[in-house]
Amino acid sequence: MAVAVRDPGSEYVLNHCTKHLSRSGPPPEPGDEAAATAFRARIAEAWRFPIVGFVREVRPDDAPPVNLVTFVYKTTPGDGRPVAVLGTFGTLYEPIPLTPVLFEGEDTGYRAVSVEVPVAELHLYKYLVDGRFVLDPINPQRKRLANGRTWSRFFTDGFLQPIILEPWELRILYRLIDQILPFRSGDAENFLRRYYFGLNRDQRKAEMPKAFRLDESVGEVNAIDKLLARDEAHRLADYRICLKQIDRALRQQNPFVEPYEMPAEDFIELYDKMANGVTIAGWDYGAYADPKFFLYLLRRHAVTTAFAHPRYAGNVGAAGWAYLEFRYADRNKKTLFDWRAALEKPLGTSPYYS
Amino acid sequence: MRDSFDVVVIGSGAGGAPIANRLVRQGKSVLVFDKGPLLRPDYEVPGRRSDYRRDELFSSGAEKILRVPGLANAGVSYYSSHVEPDINDEPHVYRGPDNRDYGTIEGYTAQVVGGGTQLYGGVSLRFTPTDLRLKSFNEQRRSPLKDDPAGDVKREARDWPYDYATLEPYYAMAEELVGICGTNDNQQKPFTSGNRYQPPLQPNPISAYANDGMAELGRRLGSNIEPYRTPLAVITRDHAPSGRKIPRDAAGNPDPESAKTSYVNRYGDPLGLKSNTWVSLLGPVAREAGFEIRPNCVVTHLSSQNGRVTQVHYLDPGGIARTVSGRIVVVACSAIESVRLLKLSAAQDDDFDRRINQNPLLGRYFLTHCFGGARALMPGRFDKSKALDADWATDCCATDEFLEANNLWAGAAIYNNTSDQALPLSLFRTHGSQDLDTLWNGFMSDVGMRADGFIKFLDDEFGRGLSISFMANQVPQFDNRIELHPTVKDKWGRPVAYVIKTWHPHDRYLMDTMARQCGNVLRYGGDPVGRNYPIQGQGAIYMAENALARMANHILGGARFGTDPKDSVLDPQNRAWEFDNLYVTDGAFMPTSGGANPTLTIQANAFRVADHLLTRV
Repeated sequence: MAVAVRDPGSEYVLNHCTKHLSRSGPPPEPGDEAAATAFRARIAEAWRFPIVGFVREVRPDDAPPVNLVTFVYKTTPGDGRPVAVLGTFGTLYEPIPLTPVLFEGEDTGYRAVSVEVPVAELHLYKYLVDGRFVLDPINPQRKRLANGRTWSRFFTDGFLQPIILEPWELRILYRLIDQILPFRSGDAENFLRRYYFGLNRDQRKAEMPKAFRLDESVGEVNAIDKLLARDEAHRLADYRICLKQIDRALRQQNPFVEPYEMPAEDFIELYDKMANGVTIAGWDYGAYADPKFFLYLLRRHAVTTAFAHPRYAGNVGAAGWAYLEFRYADRNKKTLFDWRAALEKPLGTSPYYS
Repeated sequence: MRDSFDVVVIGSGAGGAPIANRLVRQGKSVLVFDKGPLLRPDYEVPGRRSDYRRDELFSSGAEKILRVPGLANAGVSYYSSHVEPDINDEPHVYRGPDNRDYGTIEGYTAQVVGGGTQLYGGVSLRFTPTDLRLKSFNEQRRSPLKDDPAGDVKREARDWPYDYATLEPYYAMAEELVGICGTNDNQQKPFTSGNRYQPPLQPNPISAYANDGMAELGRRLGSNIEPYRTPLAVITRDHAPSGRKIPRDAAGNPDPESAKTSYVNRYGDPLGLKSNTWVSLLGPVAREAGFEIRPNCVVTHLSSQNGRVTQVHYLDPGGIARTVSGRIVVVACSAIESVRLLKLSAAQDDDFDRRINQNPLLGRYFLTHCFGGARALMPGRFDKSKALDADWATDCCATDEFLEANNLWAGAAIYNNTSDQALPLSLFRTHGSQDLDTLWNGFMSDVGMRADGFIKFLDDEFGRGLSISFMANQVPQFDNRIELHPTVKDKWGRPVAYVIKTWHPHDRYLMDTMARQCGNVLRYGGDPVGRNYPIQGQGAIYMAENALARMANHILGGARFGTDPKDSVLDPQNRAWEFDNLYVTDGAFMPTSGGANPTLTIQANAFRVADHLLTRV
């Protein structure tokens, strides 16, 4: 597969990497994992690498949606060692060279290359530095393969498969979020059915599988999986520990049914206990002291993923916004949340903003 | 790489950009530094896709955790915008009420070309004539001041070294060159140079309650002062000074309504209609031979010889230390960071130290605003997603008569916020919290808001919230100050800014008084018959848990100007006393913080300084 390499210009690269990567001390030497870990730990948003952005050139209206993915490797200015990237987004036998990023004509020490990658894809890659394959020292996303080898990982906007959570975790999460968001109450559920059904054929082809993939709602669970895989990976441990506690607590509460098949009452009971600080039988407080804190986290994640821009993989087909759009209207049935007007096509209808 | 310029400007926001604009237009060579990126509006990107997005996670993104060792709130969550610094990299530290040190995201105006004008709501009010002469006003006042037993106000208030009439033409210049829409009728400030506003857009319908309530407030106060359309830095017509055009619809007609979106306050504008200083002042001169901008560069310190700043030291985007020189050096990186830069320079350079610290005032009299307001759920529901930041404002609480009648030292502008809580995530994350340090906390802990309770919350709140804000002077206090923190360092190993401030008892009284007036606007406006509409609440920032951190991103003072070298850091032209070529033009110069949002005044004063600089280079 030929990879489209783009040049967004050094200003673009520096705009997106300086804040994170410019700091005192030398960058890690290639392959020095301990130095890389220490360097990465000082960057609050290391997950922003590689930079998953937007193509800056004019593209035809019917061109398939892509992200501009910019790989940035930091070394010291004047370092002549060649740096290239090899990944599943391209051919695995053809490394793509990174080139020096200049500032006022001088080497900044950053090496970068930008490629087009279709949206909703996940890829593995490594850098080839001076003939040696190394993991991306900045990007904390890694994937350990069955053969024991580890690769760096990234995904583009709207990726649909679970990356990080296990099927049983996803199923329990789906039921827990029922307790927070309104989409499974009678009216709202009917609305979502009608909304997805009412999408035109192309939209439906694109959106239906997302909505009905893991949950029948607006894709929150899938989007939380993405949040834990990347932007808020520091919260994965909370989920790992707490979903185990919740599974155990539910089984104690109701020993006859698999947790994800339990009636809503069981989840309501558990939610209430978590919310009110009541001791939960089966919860290992030594492993996680404050169930309420996890509930807070879940509440924030549920609502963020249900109502954020669909590029974050929740709010599928903008169903969360559409719910508000149709629920709130004036007496002439004109909506009181005309969100489409401000947003880019094809999601929105703005003739000006893209 | 060019390393010598007529003028070097550090900071591309409201204090720096007007100077760069004017001097480049006059053929001077100007280098502008900014620590942050140069993100462009869509018309400067070939594919017309701006790096500013209408995306609620751009204004407050994923959770980050404060991990700075030694801070009392290490471990707390924060949610910053894509152009705010990571506070782990460069925290602002403030001293809490328990005397322990806390990190805060408050007080950063954004690190990006355009500075705070990229994210602000665009409210562009003038200060009143009295705002610039609060010492004289309070010396001559008839009624006593409330809650000022030690006479602090009379002792600490300062008149500005010029009066309103001197600044007025520069207000007009700023309104014209920046691109502001609004109305001037009913404003309690003279517009002697005429009305330079572009016409405002139609207000959001929910603002009708505010308009009505403000008019009633004016009647009840006896002044009959009517509201006016809040001046906003948004263009509604093609703007000749900057060359910006209103987008054309399919028929080829300008569509000014395209500017109206609640992705406004805390969002950069992808269309460039919000008049940030890049699109209004710097972009338009970017092709001139004299103009150069170096984004993504951090100025680390200045060095001087015999009172002349000889070198500006900076780190380029790769972290390489470099220097440039300018015949004039203008520091304008927002009050906290400017004071910090001057103090860091003094720590490294004896000549600089001796001169900038010729008196003990650098960093002192740090100011923000007394602010607060009231909120209610109005009887009707409206589409708040099509709104700008504010629709109506009133000066009825800024007149001398009001101050006398209420025993206040200074007045306030009052305006309604239209775009707040208009979008779903902003409604949730600001539920029960109004500031950047406590986003999400209210929603997360409101565990009863679930399933049907969630729908009830939406039914109650969505499209119905209306808030009224006041913006007022804070009493200057010597002990309110910016220092270098003794232990906490930024990611380059430099001491970070340390904010130490408290509220004066009169500040609290003033905030209570003004919050009540904001509440009255809603009580009157929501109920045209009984004039007693129930409101959700009224209050002010001194009541908040983190009240000592709060600053609305209005960060002022710390290097005040004046006529007496013993009593000020800057001379009346914003030049640092004892220096020949060092100027400070962000909000740090203000001896009092004004009864309105400060950006327009910073811009107007910077245009004034530009005229002065043109006599020197």
